[in-house]
Amino acid sequence: MSTRVRLGVLQAAAPLLAIAFGAVVASGIILAIGKDPLEVYGLMLRFNLTRSDSVAAIFLKATPLTFAGLAVALSFRVNLWNIGVEGQYAVGAFAAALVAFGMRGLPAPIHLPLAVLVGVASGAAWALLPIALKLRRGAHEVITTIMMNYIASALVLYLLADVFRDPTQAGTPRVRTPLFEDSARIPLLRPVLQLVGIDVPSHSALNWFLPLGVVLCLGAAYLLARTRFGYEVRAVALNPDAAEAAGIRIARTQFYMFLASGAVAGLVGLSDVLGFFGYFDIDFPKGLGFLGISVALLARNDPLGVVPAALLLAFLDRGAQGVQVFSGVPREVITILQAVIILAIVVGYELVTRYVRAQRKREAERLVAGRPDVSEGEGG
Amino acid sequence: MELLSALANMALLASAVRLTVPILLTALGAVYSERGGVVNIGLEGIMIMGTFFGASVTHLVATALPVPGAEAGATHAIAPVVGMLAAMVAGVLFSLVHAVVAVTFRVNQIISGVVLNMLAVGLARFLNILFFGVATQSPGISGFEPWSVPVLRDVPALAPIATGISPVIPLALILLGLGHWVLVRTVFGLRLRAVGEHPLAADTLGINVAAMRYAGVLISGALAGLAGGYLSIEQGRGYLEGMTQGRGFIALAAMIFGNWWPLGALGASALFGYFDALSLRVVHTRIPYQFITVLPHIATIFVLAGFMRRAVPPAADGIPYTKEEA
Repeated sequence: MSTRVRLGVLQAAAPLLAIAFGAVVASGIILAIGKDPLEVYGLMLRFNLTRSDSVAAIFLKATPLTFAGLAVALSFRVNLWNIGVEGQYAVGAFAAALVAFGMRGLPAPIHLPLAVLVGVASGAAWALLPIALKLRRGAHEVITTIMMNYIASALVLYLLADVFRDPTQAGTPRVRTPLFEDSARIPLLRPVLQLVGIDVPSHSALNWFLPLGVVLCLGAAYLLARTRFGYEVRAVALNPDAAEAAGIRIARTQFYMFLASGAVAGLVGLSDVLGFFGYFDIDFPKGLGFLGISVALLARNDPLGVVPAALLLAFLDRGAQGVQVFSGVPREVITILQAVIILAIVVGYELVTRYVRAQRKREAERLVAGRPDVSEGEGG
Repeated sequence: MELLSALANMALLASAVRLTVPILLTALGAVYSERGGVVNIGLEGIMIMGTFFGASVTHLVATALPVPGAEAGATHAIAPVVGMLAAMVAGVLFSLVHAVVAVTFRVNQIISGVVLNMLAVGLARFLNILFFGVATQSPGISGFEPWSVPVLRDVPALAPIATGISPVIPLALILLGLGHWVLVRTVFGLRLRAVGEHPLAADTLGINVAAMRYAGVLISGALAGLAGGYLSIEQGRGYLEGMTQGRGFIALAAMIFGNWWPLGALGASALFGYFDALSLRVVHTRIPYQFITVLPHIATIFVLAGFMRRAVPPAADGIPYTKEEA
């Protein structure tokens, strides 16, 4: 029992130690540019925690990160690397935007779900080629998904600038689609939160995709832990040979999980596009897919860990804005901090996993070594 | 006919040769790393470091050493040399992170490489702000004095390809031949390949598996750094954020297409270099330019899908080696 408690403490301590290590490295950088790290961190905490607009901004930023992290985690769970969330969400968000401004006169209960479903389907469709080539031809999905990212970015740029650009914006530097119908906008959370007495700044775009992301993570956790399909997924990840011998079709399991990953990726951009902007423009937020990789690694690919991990990265992101504005420290310091934390955390998890395995092995050896003594005792 | 001349004129071929070099150097690096059994997805990030340090160090040296008696803007000939070396050193140091995380700590090599790429983007932006006050580009620089081939340069038809040659181009070819010789003929190369095929057997014979894998990764860092330096010093005449354009990943595809051999990587790199050059040239057609810019990326997917050849990776490629559990 005491061993189990000790291992549990170690596993919980690993992320904290990684954050501390990242903070130490970032302190070195902050010192090097002639600022006081403690002051910068203090400012970041105050900026993030004492302002209600900061708190709302953190939850808003965590919304797309939750979907991105879950999308990446789903693929990692079957030993596949979907680095293509970046492209999948761009395609998904643009397809949803097409529905949102292109179809007119639909009631909201049909229009919004339709736009969301088209986004989901487009994200999954963009994941189809890499997984098909992986399973059929052995093409490494890391490289093919990254190539699909470049292609997605070019495709969306072309469709936006040359085909679907809002004609009323011609001649201006703005490159964006026409405005969406109100029936395709995601409702804000503010009215509901005010009912329960939580005050949200009136300009906050915090919307229903936040609870949707949480529910999706809970659903994925249930699926993986409690259903037959989830059992197959875990078997494929732990020991493909044993899974195959047990009659599990590995390629099929991987195929479905990868498409699910792409489908969730299709949701990443919608909180911003349908919940906030109300149009799709050329400055549409980019890089969320790569942040999703950080979220998944931080969460150890556990859907239940995705929401806290997304909140942590959103916290750092908001803090980066604060320190940039109020202490003149470039926000890139926080980007470096994030990457160092992720590196430290994967090393930390690896060390803990190895230690746990060694402990279990030792315990098992002790049990095996103990048994002959017992039988000898009985025989004598 | 017009299309044919657009696809195969001398200027295009010259541009293809220039654009083959960064992919070739990085693919050669990838061969060293993966022959030793370490997948290096971080090559893109290492290239980014090379582009930044190559350009910025060249700029710093050029401003620190003004050429006496020359007009303003002239650059000391030593500046690009120091810049290239700095790019290589940066590549080695950055790849050291990958070696420590993936070889010593045995973290999944894909994860380590992916995080390295994210780190490179943030680091390059931060350092650029620190040095030049803006996030995304360095001041313009001049590179090496270009070479030309003595007799061929006088033939008008061959002039585009026989003049304006960067000295890095012959250097890349020398490094390529050297790479083939090292991997096939030397003790080091044999040992490197042994730890990539069967680390346990190599270990049993007294080869230091970790040391060989470190060597493979660090060499790949030096070559990818050099490739980055070439991009920013010789091609771009300055650092620009995102100028690697996924070439680190394309180089991995070139390495796979070349069946994990240096000479094979040459053919594949030339193919990608050609598409790269095409994507820069064929702007004046009816095809939207956005589609033309992704030609190299589409070609990469085709190549990886093995529509041309089946590839055989080293047997232990990507698998961390654990002594006590083997």
